[in-house]
Amino acid sequence: MTLSGMFKGFPLKAAALCALALTGGFLSQAQAQDGDIRLGIVSPNTGSNARYGSFALRGAQLAVEEINSAGGINGKKIKIFSGDSQCTPVEGVSATQRLIQEDKVGFIIGDICSSVTLAMQPIVENAKVLLVNAASSNPAITYKAGVGGFKWTYRNYPTDEVRSLVVLDYATKQKNFTKFAVLSVDSDYGRGAINFTKKYLERFKSEIISEDYYKDGEVDFRSVLAKIKNSGAQAIIMYGLADTTPIIARQMVETGLAGKIPLIGNGEFNAPATIKAAPTALNGAIEAAAWLPGWDTPRSKEFVKKFETAYKGETPNNHAYSHWETVHLIAATMKAANSTDGEKVRDAMAKIKFDSAVGPITFDDHNQALVPMILLEIEGGAPSIKGAFVGSIDYPKN
Amino acid sequence: MLNLLGEQLLNGIVTGSVYAIVAVGMTMTFGVLRVINFAHGEYFMVGTFASWFVIEKFDLGYPQSVVFAVALTALLAIVVGYFLMRKMVGAPFENGVLATLGVSLILQNLAVALFGGSYKFFNGGYIEPVELFGYGLAQQRILIVIVCVLVFIGLDLMVTYSRMGKSMRAVSQNIECCEIVGIDVQSVVLWTFVIGASLAGLSGVLTAPVNVSVYGGMGELITFKTLPIIIMGGLGNVRGTLIAAMILGIAESFVAGFIGLQFRDSVGFVTLILMLMWRPHGLFSLQSRF
Repeated sequence: MTLSGMFKGFPLKAAALCALALTGGFLSQAQAQDGDIRLGIVSPNTGSNARYGSFALRGAQLAVEEINSAGGINGKKIKIFSGDSQCTPVEGVSATQRLIQEDKVGFIIGDICSSVTLAMQPIVENAKVLLVNAASSNPAITYKAGVGGFKWTYRNYPTDEVRSLVVLDYATKQKNFTKFAVLSVDSDYGRGAINFTKKYLERFKSEIISEDYYKDGEVDFRSVLAKIKNSGAQAIIMYGLADTTPIIARQMVETGLAGKIPLIGNGEFNAPATIKAAPTALNGAIEAAAWLPGWDTPRSKEFVKKFETAYKGETPNNHAYSHWETVHLIAATMKAANSTDGEKVRDAMAKIKFDSAVGPITFDDHNQALVPMILLEIEGGAPSIKGAFVGSIDYPKN
Repeated sequence: MLNLLGEQLLNGIVTGSVYAIVAVGMTMTFGVLRVINFAHGEYFMVGTFASWFVIEKFDLGYPQSVVFAVALTALLAIVVGYFLMRKMVGAPFENGVLATLGVSLILQNLAVALFGGSYKFFNGGYIEPVELFGYGLAQQRILIVIVCVLVFIGLDLMVTYSRMGKSMRAVSQNIECCEIVGIDVQSVVLWTFVIGASLAGLSGVLTAPVNVSVYGGMGELITFKTLPIIIMGGLGNVRGTLIAAMILGIAESFVAGFIGLQFRDSVGFVTLILMLMWRPHGLFSLQSRF
């Protein structure tokens, strides 16, 4: 990206590569015993999305411990191998290749960032390694999976298309908004979500009157917020980064938008730290989430409790949940297939019916999980859950 | 429409003030040393981290944290200046590029190693909005503009009247002559660099309350925003830097407000290309340096 960005981490990487060349093969052999189920997790463990990666790994680790302590799968234990994608396709691809070639994983969960997952798909397809995505929401991932092409990709996470649809439905019908301004992150995720919103604008007789995208690391939103304030928009559609939401929310307070034009979409609007940063700006914010800690089902509550016990009281986020649930889903599929063979597990996943914490999960012919989304609104400084919605979307004809 | 124009102008001035304080340190260092300091943004980052750290861990107030942050950045600059920048006098251009890039990598990764790679939340400063000419503005931003004006008045007085300032001008014009008349060039370079880095640290803490996020790579963006400004201002030209920073700040603000936020970062780079093509010595003549 930038000059120093190119060199960043170079000495570290070189050292790590040398160490890997010398000891890598022996190390992973020693750690994992023959007969273990090797599960790779590709996630951003450094960089601006490292927080998500850390949640994802902890969630997966928790599930693995639960499964292993309950006797494993047909007596076999699961062993996690982690790869760092840094949320960039280049790093994600090399991490995936390392997991497949050096760590010999048979199953991969990854990535959080949609751009990385899209780049990983052809690699797992060639290697015949089962990829179960647990946190990427770009619809293209499963447009191209199942009958769409890639046989080895599954996704256990709602897509941006479902999310856009659910949010737009609620905003237009419950709040009577018809004029929207867009302020999303400039990425596959941010732009993708807006494209799907556009697809359904006509159905809800609404329009987008301004469209802006911000770069990762952007800190100055005053100009664009001033424009939005004067544009007559009733709400700001934002599919953004959790770390940027507090910055935008604070500048909404500054520029006098807070309490007048709410944020709708997704970007951890419901996180306590975000709300604390600018309570007035987030009041009335509408967010569709795959899961949140306040979701009131026994399995969900049990997960939160286990996670908090395991990680010093830290409250899990939706990536922790989705990775935890996806490890359990893979384990359940292995049990249903009565096998840990990649191909048999892959075929069994198409027919599985799994009871998750948000509802029953089944997969459609594009290997996309039909999993509900939770809709919430920030009221009086706390998220209030408005319900769970399943969206069945129309796939584009090839 | 007029209303929106005024607001964007105000936004531009606020943004320009931040750019100006950061860029002036870089341009001064270039003036005496002929080295583009690629690690300049990292001193911005160090200042922010220092302030964040004492607020979070020792519960210090924001004003005290500003003092601590600037002091720490100055101390770091003295160390780097003494062992590195001072020795750059008369060295080939590539040495400066490599050395400062190296410092940049070390500082960035040190911050990540010490505090982790995730974004930190900056709690502190004066973020309450106030009305100014009918536009909402955080108090902190008014403070930034005031500090910017004070910094530039101070620097102007210094280079005009103080012995240190006069030596800085002399060194930027002719190093050999300075050595003949007995000016300690290395010491002038060291202290110019310390002042420049401390100003970067100061602007880091000043902007932290409104920029909210604190992370290891935050200085990189600043360095690359600064490059077009110091070239536009004329490398080494203090007053030119202020005007160039304002021009870029206002231009960015108008682009973000009237064209689209996604095109904002391109303003600086387009400016850089145009300047290098038509006026590589900057908008203002070289004579007006300092």
